[in-house]
Amino acid sequence: MKTDVLKNYIDGEWEESAAEETLEIRNPATDEIITHVPMSTVEEVDQAVKAAKAAFQEWRETTPYSRARFMFRLKVLMEKRFEELARTIVVEHGKIIDEARGEVRRGIENIEVAAGVPSMMMGYNMEDAAAGIDEDCVLQPIGVFCCVGPFNFPNMVPLWFLPYAVACGNTYIVKPSERCPMSQNLLFEIFDEVDFPPGVVNLVNGDKRVVNALLEHPDLAGLSFVGSTPVGKLLYKKSAENGKRAQIQAGAKNCLVVMPDTVLDKTVAAIMTSAFGTAGQRCLAGALIVAVGDIYEELKDRIVESASKLRVGNGLDEKTQMGPVISKSSRERIIGYIEKGVEEGATLLLDGRGIKVEGYPNGYFLGPTIFTDVTPDMVIAREEIFGPILGIIRVKDFDEAIEVINNSPYGNAASLFSTGGKWAREFKYQVRAGNIGINIGIAAPIASFPFSGMKNSFFGDLHGQGRDAIEFFTDRKVIISRWF
Amino acid sequence: MDLSTFGAILSYAVELETKAAEFYGGNAQGKLEEVFTDLAGGSDKRVRRLELIRQEGISEMILEPITGFNSGDHSLDKVSEAGEPLKQAFMIETVMGEFYSEGSKKIPIREVVRVFQRMAEDNNKRKVQLEKLLE
Repeated sequence: MKTDVLKNYIDGEWEESAAEETLEIRNPATDEIITHVPMSTVEEVDQAVKAAKAAFQEWRETTPYSRARFMFRLKVLMEKRFEELARTIVVEHGKIIDEARGEVRRGIENIEVAAGVPSMMMGYNMEDAAAGIDEDCVLQPIGVFCCVGPFNFPNMVPLWFLPYAVACGNTYIVKPSERCPMSQNLLFEIFDEVDFPPGVVNLVNGDKRVVNALLEHPDLAGLSFVGSTPVGKLLYKKSAENGKRAQIQAGAKNCLVVMPDTVLDKTVAAIMTSAFGTAGQRCLAGALIVAVGDIYEELKDRIVESASKLRVGNGLDEKTQMGPVISKSSRERIIGYIEKGVEEGATLLLDGRGIKVEGYPNGYFLGPTIFTDVTPDMVIAREEIFGPILGIIRVKDFDEAIEVINNSPYGNAASLFSTGGKWAREFKYQVRAGNIGINIGIAAPIASFPFSGMKNSFFGDLHGQGRDAIEFFTDRKVIISRWF
Repeated sequence: MDLSTFGAILSYAVELETKAAEFYGGNAQGKLEEVFTDLAGGSDKRVRRLELIRQEGISEMILEPITGFNSGDHSLDKVSEAGEPLKQAFMIETVMGEFYSEGSKKIPIREVVRVFQRMAEDNNKRKVQLEKLLE
């Protein structure tokens, strides 16, 4: 693979960035340099926003049916290059090929939902709001939006937003993760083939300087972000200061509550994917098992047994069940948390630090790691680690489990494993988290639903995906009319 | 090899069908030409179906590890030991039918389970057809 510099896509053209600074992108399984990403300039951001603004009027005058047809073409072309997209994700991120395929699939599902814009953008009206006076409400696009993508779902996350924004008649700029920009750049090759009018979709590579330049630009209407809570809070504040709409999907520390009446085999299998899928680097990852009552001993033993058998390796190998973490520094940071857990007095049942993967001596591998005797006040229980570390908290009853979840400052996801409908109903009702799983380890909403989140896991009013996205990317105009 | 992921099962199925298609295509001669050409076409169609399922059937919510399903138990490596082409074909259909039948019990996605079950049934029908030719 060539180690060249990725380009930006602005106003319908691929352009070499004028950036003086570039970042190396390395394959997490091999530590080899695979490409470079430019740290684009403020001028390039301005160029992209200007192009998007210039394209807006003509695009918003394109009918919703025509805009929907662009979505159909986008879907067809993504399906054609599906495996290429998935493999690119594996090479830049490290996740296993099935996870990458799942990621591409979920991205396409958002395009499929956005293609329903002719129905989803319909307004409503009433005759005789007062005698002889009618009232209509229409949804209208607003202007130029952008998203700042995360490294962990580099291809999918911008598609939580862009298809809806563009289908509604807005124009768009993507700032992909500077750690995983390749699959997004490949996606823009597909956008180019779809042949949107120039300026409708744009890509500017770079880091936080690009994000700041976007937020400070007077012609940007809004921002969507997925990433950590500290950065999310900053961006939310900055968005408000600059008068921008914002939807900020932030960090998490998700609990999986396991009741004594659960089906243990299936629960353990679900926990494996939840805790160690994407090497734990996801906002829906199960980070803490909350074992209720008698289930604890057998659950603990079964989890350790299953996790110790997970095959860690290069994600391109279909046999691999868990890939590396994203970077050397991330690996060191996660190891720091393992050391912290030991220091805090948690019991280390499975230690992933010493893992060696044959054939990949330089990869950023960590094995599944499991602590028990974790208490909610510990750092490893409170802080988002974003790695393959699972903690087990033991509680006496259901109410104590709810307390553990609701005392967390995060509210992204929570799951209950039980065969009892009563527990499930109470769980759904009481838990303060946005994405709830009942016997589901990864409570990932499909595209027609909002990707929810509460407390420090989300800032804003409207989430990504589905009808929330349509509302975020449109304004309501009420027309009151009378004819003489 | 342990077929421990959804993708691994589908990819192995593609591998098996590709081998089957190559065998049928390469032995479609004489009195076997018509039936083997038909079977080769059927295997090619299955490859396309399986690749589509691998792409469209995946669900991120249920990527749980799969246990107790090994490619070594469903291999076409010893087919040539069966002797004449018709007998080899019978063995191919037996192996494939068992693979899809077992696989249908391992995959957590209902739509894919149904496809695998139908494919196992089709393999059994092919066996009956081949058995008649062997008589």
